[in-house]
Amino acid sequence: MRNMNLSYFIRRLFSALLTLWIALTINFLLPRLMGGNPADFIASQTAMGSPEYAEALSRQFGLDKSLPEQYILYLGQLLKGNLGVSYSIFPVTVSSIIIKAIPWTLLIVLTSTLISFAIAWVLGTLAALKKGSSFDNVVVGVSFYIQSTPYFFVGMLILMAFGYYLDWFPMSHALPPGLSGDVPWYKLIGSVARHAFMPVLSLIVVSLAGRMVMMRSNILQIFSEDYITLAQAKGLRRGTILSKYALRNALLPSFTGLMLSLGTAVGGAITTEMIYSYPGIGLTIMNAIHNQDYPLIQGCFAIIAVCVVGMNLLADLIYPFLDPRVSLK
Amino acid sequence: MNREKSEGYAMLQKYILSNTKAKIGIGIIVVFALVAIFAPVLAPYNPKAIEFVPWEKPSAQHLLGVNSYGQDILSQVIHGTRVTMIVGIFAGLLTSLIGVFVGLVAGYKGGMTGEILMRFVDVLLSLPSLALMIVVASFLKSMSIRSTVVIIGALSWLWMARSIRSQTMTESKRDYVDAAKALGMNSLEIMFREILPNIFPVVTANMVMVITSSMLTEASMSFLGIGDPSLVSWGKMLSVAFDNSAIIYGAWWWMIPPGLCIATLGYSFMLIGNSFLDTYSNDRGGAVKL
Repeated sequence: MRNMNLSYFIRRLFSALLTLWIALTINFLLPRLMGGNPADFIASQTAMGSPEYAEALSRQFGLDKSLPEQYILYLGQLLKGNLGVSYSIFPVTVSSIIIKAIPWTLLIVLTSTLISFAIAWVLGTLAALKKGSSFDNVVVGVSFYIQSTPYFFVGMLILMAFGYYLDWFPMSHALPPGLSGDVPWYKLIGSVARHAFMPVLSLIVVSLAGRMVMMRSNILQIFSEDYITLAQAKGLRRGTILSKYALRNALLPSFTGLMLSLGTAVGGAITTEMIYSYPGIGLTIMNAIHNQDYPLIQGCFAIIAVCVVGMNLLADLIYPFLDPRVSLK
Repeated sequence: MNREKSEGYAMLQKYILSNTKAKIGIGIIVVFALVAIFAPVLAPYNPKAIEFVPWEKPSAQHLLGVNSYGQDILSQVIHGTRVTMIVGIFAGLLTSLIGVFVGLVAGYKGGMTGEILMRFVDVLLSLPSLALMIVVASFLKSMSIRSTVVIIGALSWLWMARSIRSQTMTESKRDYVDAAKALGMNSLEIMFREILPNIFPVVTANMVMVITSSMLTEASMSFLGIGDPSLVSWGKMLSVAFDNSAIIYGAWWWMIPPGLCIATLGYSFMLIGNSFLDTYSNDRGGAVKL
C-alpha cells in the first residue's frame, strides 16, 4: 500500500512538472514569435534610439544569442527565480513587480473564494433539499442569469451603486493615494478593507452562481445513491442523513473545485482589477501587454501557470486521503 | 427512411416541443435574431452618427438616451445585436467543432494519442486564457470580426474537449460499439457514425452553452480593447461607456441596456443547453456527469 502511494505521488509530480515545462516553453516562444526587438524599443524610449545602446541592451538581454541558447538561458534563470528585467519600467526586475502585485490579487481572490464557497454550500444544499420548489427554481434561474453576465458588467454595476450613488467605498486603487508611512495599523487595515470591498463583492457575485448550481447537483447526485436509500430505510432522521452522509460526500468534489478555482482565479480577476484599477496581477498583465513588456508578460504567465499546476497537483495528492473510494492509480 | 424521420421527430418532441425551458430559450433567441436581421429598419438613427446632445437622458426622441459622443444608444444596441450574435454563434460553432473532434479522438482512442491531446489541454488551461487571447491578437496587424471568431474558437475548446472525452469514454464501453467493431467498422466511422449520434444531446447542450461563453469572451475582449474598432458590439459599448466615465456621469442608460442584452441572450442559450442535459440525463438514470 505504501509503495503504491509513493508511485502515485511520483507519477502525479512528474506529470505536473511535464505540464509546467511545456507551458513555460510556450511562454518562452510567444514573445519571440511576436517579433519586434525590445532592445530597440527601450533604446528609442530612453536613449533617443542610439544604436550602440540598443546593441548593449541586446547583449544584456541575451538577444544576440541563438534561439536554443536563449532557451537554455531562460530555463536556467527561471530555476534561479530570476524572471528578468521589465522593459517598460526599466530597469526594475520583473520579480519585484510581481511580488508587489501578487498580495493584492491573493487578498481579493482568497477572500471572495472562501465567502462565495460558504454561501454556495448553504444555498446549494437548501435548493437541493427543496428540489422543484419555488426557492429552488429562483436559485437556479438567477444563477444561470448571473453566469451569463459579463464579469466586468457586474463590476460596473457594483461600482455605480456602492461607489457612485451611495458613495460608501473608494472607487479605485487598493490604498488611498499619498498614504504616508506613519498611519496606525488599524487605520491601514480599515483602508485596505474599504478599498477591497467592491472588488471582493463583484468576484463573489460572479463566482457564486456556478458554485451554487454545482453544489446543488452534487447533493442531488448523492441523494440518488444506495447508501442514502439504505439510511432512509433504516429510519434515520433527515438531519442525520444530511450531516452524516450527504454533506460530507458532497463536499469532496467541491473541495477539488475549490483548489482548482484558486489556481485559475489569479488569472481570472483581470477585468475586475481593471474596473477598480486594483493593482494586482491582472492589471499588471494588462499594462504589460499594452506596453509590449514581454519579460513582465512572461513572468506573470509563469507565476499563474505555477499556481494552476501546483493547485491541481495538491488537489490530486490530497483527494485520495479525503475519499478512500478513489483508487490511487 | 420513414423510421428515421419518426425517430428524428421523437427527438424533437422530447427535447424541444415538450420542454418549456427550451421553448422559452428559443423564443428569446428568435426575438434577438429578428432584431439583428432587421437592424437597419428598426434602428431610429445611424448608430455612428454624432449629431445629438451628449449625455442626454432617455426621452421620447431617444428611448435609451445619448452617449458622451452624441450618438443614439438605442440604435447602437440594435446594431450591436448583429455583431454580438454573429461572433457568439460562429465562435461557439468553431469551439464545438474542435472540442468535439478532440474529445471524441481522445476519449475513443485513449492511449498515447489521448494522453498527448489531454496533456495539451492541461497546458493551455494552465495559462490565463483571456490574457493569452490578447497576446495572440497582438500578433495580428488589425482585428476583424473573422479574426475575433478564430481567436475565441481556437482557445476556448478546452473544457468542451474534456466534457466530450469523458462522455465518449463511457459510451465506448457500451454494446453497440463492440457490435460496430465486430462489423469491421474503422475508428473514424465508429466515432462519428456510432458514438457521435448517441451523445448528440450532450454535444448540442455543450454547443449552445459555449455560444454563451463565446459572447461573454467577446465582451471581455472588447472591454480590454481587443476587437474590430469599427464595429459596435454590446461589449464594445460597455467598454466605451466605462472609458468615458459613464459611471461618474451617472449615465446608467448607457451601461444597463447592453449589459442586460448580453445577459438575457446568454441566459436563453444556457436555458436550452441545460434543459437538454436534464432530459438526456433523465434518460440515462441521472448518471451523466460533465
